[in-house]
Amino acid sequence: MKWITARRRHPLAGYVVVILALALFGVGYAALAPTADQAEAQTLAAEVPSPDDVDVAAGEDIFNQTCASCHNYDGGGSDTGPDIRNSGAASVNFQVSTGRMPSMDPDSQMPRRPMVMSEQDLANLIAYYNEEIREGGPDIPYEVPGGPPQRENFEDDASYEAAMEEHEADFEAYIEGADDTDMGMKLYLTNCAHCHGWSGGGGALTDGRWAPEIHDATPREIYEAMVSGPGAMPMFSDTVIEPEEKQELISYVKKLQAEPNAGGIFDLNRVGQVAEGFIGWVVGLSLIIACAIWITAKQRAHD
Amino acid sequence: MSKTTQAPKALRGVGNFIDDRFHLAKTGEKNLRKVFPNHWSFMLGEIALYSFIILLVSGVFLTLWFKPSMLEVVYDGAYERLQGVPMSEAYASTLYIDFEVRGGFLVRQIHHWAALIFVASLVVHMLRVFFTGAFRKPREINWLIGVAIFGLAMVEGLFGYSLPDDLPSGMGVRILQGVMLALPLVGPYISMFLFGGEFPGEDIITRLYMLHVLLIPALLLGLIVAHFMILWHQKHTQYPGTGRTDKTVVGTPMYPAFAVKAGGFFFFTFAVTAGLSGFVQINPIHLFGPFTPTSITSGLQPDWYMGFMEGSLRIFPNWFDIAPFGYAIPTAVLVPGLIVPGLIFGGLALWPFIEQWITGDKRARNVADRPRNAPVRTGVGVAGITFYGVLWLAGSNDILSETFSIDLYLTTYIFRVLAIVGPILGYIIAKRICLGLQRRDRETLEHGYESGTIQQLPSGEFIEVHKRSSDETIHVLENKPPLTSTALSEPEVDDKGVENPKTRKGPGKLRLALARWYTKDNVSLDDVEPYSGHHLHHSVPEGEKEATH
Ligand code: HEC
Ligand code: HEC
Ligand code: HEM
Repeated sequence: MKWITARRRHPLAGYVVVILALALFGVGYAALAPTADQAEAQTLAAEVPSPDDVDVAAGEDIFNQTCASCHNYDGGGSDTGPDIRNSGAASVNFQVSTGRMPSMDPDSQMPRRPMVMSEQDLANLIAYYNEEIREGGPDIPYEVPGGPPQRENFEDDASYEAAMEEHEADFEAYIEGADDTDMGMKLYLTNCAHCHGWSGGGGALTDGRWAPEIHDATPREIYEAMVSGPGAMPMFSDTVIEPEEKQELISYVKKLQAEPNAGGIFDLNRVGQVAEGFIGWVVGLSLIIACAIWITAKQRAHD
Repeated sequence: MSKTTQAPKALRGVGNFIDDRFHLAKTGEKNLRKVFPNHWSFMLGEIALYSFIILLVSGVFLTLWFKPSMLEVVYDGAYERLQGVPMSEAYASTLYIDFEVRGGFLVRQIHHWAALIFVASLVVHMLRVFFTGAFRKPREINWLIGVAIFGLAMVEGLFGYSLPDDLPSGMGVRILQGVMLALPLVGPYISMFLFGGEFPGEDIITRLYMLHVLLIPALLLGLIVAHFMILWHQKHTQYPGTGRTDKTVVGTPMYPAFAVKAGGFFFFTFAVTAGLSGFVQINPIHLFGPFTPTSITSGLQPDWYMGFMEGSLRIFPNWFDIAPFGYAIPTAVLVPGLIVPGLIFGGLALWPFIEQWITGDKRARNVADRPRNAPVRTGVGVAGITFYGVLWLAGSNDILSETFSIDLYLTTYIFRVLAIVGPILGYIIAKRICLGLQRRDRETLEHGYESGTIQQLPSGEFIEVHKRSSDETIHVLENKPPLTSTALSEPEVDDKGVENPKTRKGPGKLRLALARWYTKDNVSLDDVEPYSGHHLHHSVPEGEKEATH
């Protein structure tokens, strides 16, 4: 930031900004070309696993081995896990990709952790779930960008890098595709901030539950969290907050998260006033008092 | 400094010109030779003065661009993320200060950090005065002025915090309004009056602005000047020591030594404030976004000095809400919002007079008490700190609950219990510690101090060698002020055998009881002759006396 601040009044700065903006626009446009519909179809094509790529039988094995102990073989639930037949693929994808499921302790809220199975296993599991267990619930929003591609799913560096580039372009397009900051901000601050905090840093709830930090969640996971309403979180279906509004909301969260801390290199984790008060006392006032002690000690030595 | 150096001729000319007319040299000479005590705790008030100066200067800078208006504008300034967002002019102009005024961001952060340090220094300064009994006669007025400065500073900070019209500032104003509304009968009218109609209305920022940059700073400035003039007149108190009595003052003359050091100290205070402002982000209003009435968020608090209010609002139960004649009286807001701060500030303001009433001590006191020598006062002070501290922590219960993974409701119950038990425990423990220290003082006076050297006597017994304390220590210990009350010396029955009406009932009886409480358990050193204790076991064997003393 300092670097930019120092140079932003340079006579050439304006041109540099324009050129950068044009270049960005060009790249973004190229990624979206030729029409938005087609572009969406492309990403869809890239993301939705085709029936040839998934193995329903393998998915069944995974379900029966890792999920059925709590959710039962038909997904109908048991003492240790709820009925998931109407949860929807979005819910399964959210729960497994954020590492919440399979649960380690059915009595308490699960924290986010790395996914316990491979992308391929998850795709198989979802295919099985869709085919045999599911009775309703939201679909996976494939048009919303998910996590970055994993190296082990690619044969060589070139295809991995290509996939990575495509992922980044998708991400940019989705985030930049939202341009009504006011709408995103109001939606987030009205619906989510009282649990997740203004910065998305998370917050305490009652009964030992907590609303987690949402900075690690991909846009797709945020979307899925809204449509599935995990745990203590309410559900925000596509009729309550429409997909375009969700895009604005997600874009607001992600842009805020990426925003540099213009006020200084220490952002105190964006905790706010409690941390500021703490620093004010423990660093600010203490240093000054230490100086007072030093000054008067010197002085007394000269008395 | 044996020879006085002459000022250049031109300067001397100007100096003489001024002096011939205003006779400044004489007054100046007198004032410059005022003595200042050399203990760091006397500089705490200076920190407050310097941060107030920093606040004034940085605040004036901010007023050059800040627009105290709630007119809605669509932002099109330099901060890209919020372009196109509707917001108040107040918020937009604060963004302008941040991103388009050169150095504006830094100055805003300096203003805010200085505000936090200002109020913090007031607190520690006040605690120093309290625990050393420096509020006693003749300094009661200055103590009252101090309490007023503290209260005004809090309000000033709250209003300043509300000016940028960002997310947390709007929430602060909302809580303020909530407390106002809770006032029976008049509440809604006061709120309508302040806000010029319904919340949030269109006037509130403009009005808070007037209060923040004009009225309250003027009051504060007046009080601070009065505070210093009284101080100048009465001089500092001083810690006990040789040559220090209620009638003489020792220290370093104001000029040159102290002035130089104090000047340096100002720059150090400023450096710390500026250093924090340069590196640690504070109140990032550009990240918070503008206030909208529908926005609610967790994790945002008022500045620390309002934390105890927030805490008392959070933990006070709503069990006592009553609605006589269908008119709701929300005690759950009234008590914590008005009565708790009333107790804290009222208690602070009244304590010097309460203490004076209990002890009947009407003498001018210029030698500060050692906190241990007034165990009850120290205990009460610690109880007060504990109460305030618990409320303060409770104000951040959601952050604590999150950081330490404790259930949110559980923290509320813990804080409720602590708010009652904590002060009592604090009182008892602090008093015990004071009495323990007094006993150690007595030992020291009787035997000298424990040197840490262990010796074996011919008999095989081990003893720790006690050495003689410095004359300074002996002087301080010997001059421990007696802790008494005139109430105790008043006879309960007069010479005719009639009960003294003064102590029999009402205030007199209360006073007697309080006096007993105040003086009970105190360890007297009056009967102790220095080094009169058992020489046999504790003091240095004859031959070594030379070496140790
Ligand atoms: C140890 C028991 C256990 C195991 C194993 C387990 N779950 Fe769960 N699951 C739960 C519990 C308990 C919940 C409810 C969590 C909550 O409310 O916070 C849950 C919730 C869910 C939900 C969300 C239900 C809803 O409507 O919100 C889905 C979907 C889910 N599990 C899928 C799975 C899948 C897929 C697996 C296997 C990979 C799995 N679970 C393994 C216990 C388990
Ligand atoms: C009542 C409080 C509450 C509200 C309101 C709420 N959430 Fe949540 N949110 C939660 C809880 C609790 C969880 C954790 C669920 C679990 O693991 O069982 C969660 C989890 C999430 C996650 C997963 C984070 C991760 O990385 O694992 C995301 C993303 C999320 N919420 C987004 C949102 C958004 C967006 C909104 C607003 C539309 C919202 N939440 C509103 C309570 C809430
Ligand atoms: C005891 C003294 C003062 C205290 C405790 C105090 C505190 C504050 C605080 C906490 C803020 C919010 C800052 C932020 O947005 O981060 C603020 C804002 C402001 N203060 Fe003060 N202040 C004091 C004196 C003054 C004075 C004397 C002036 C002007 C003469 C002033 C002018 C302003 C202005 C214009 C703002 C709004 C601009 C902004 O928020 O950035 N302040 N004050």
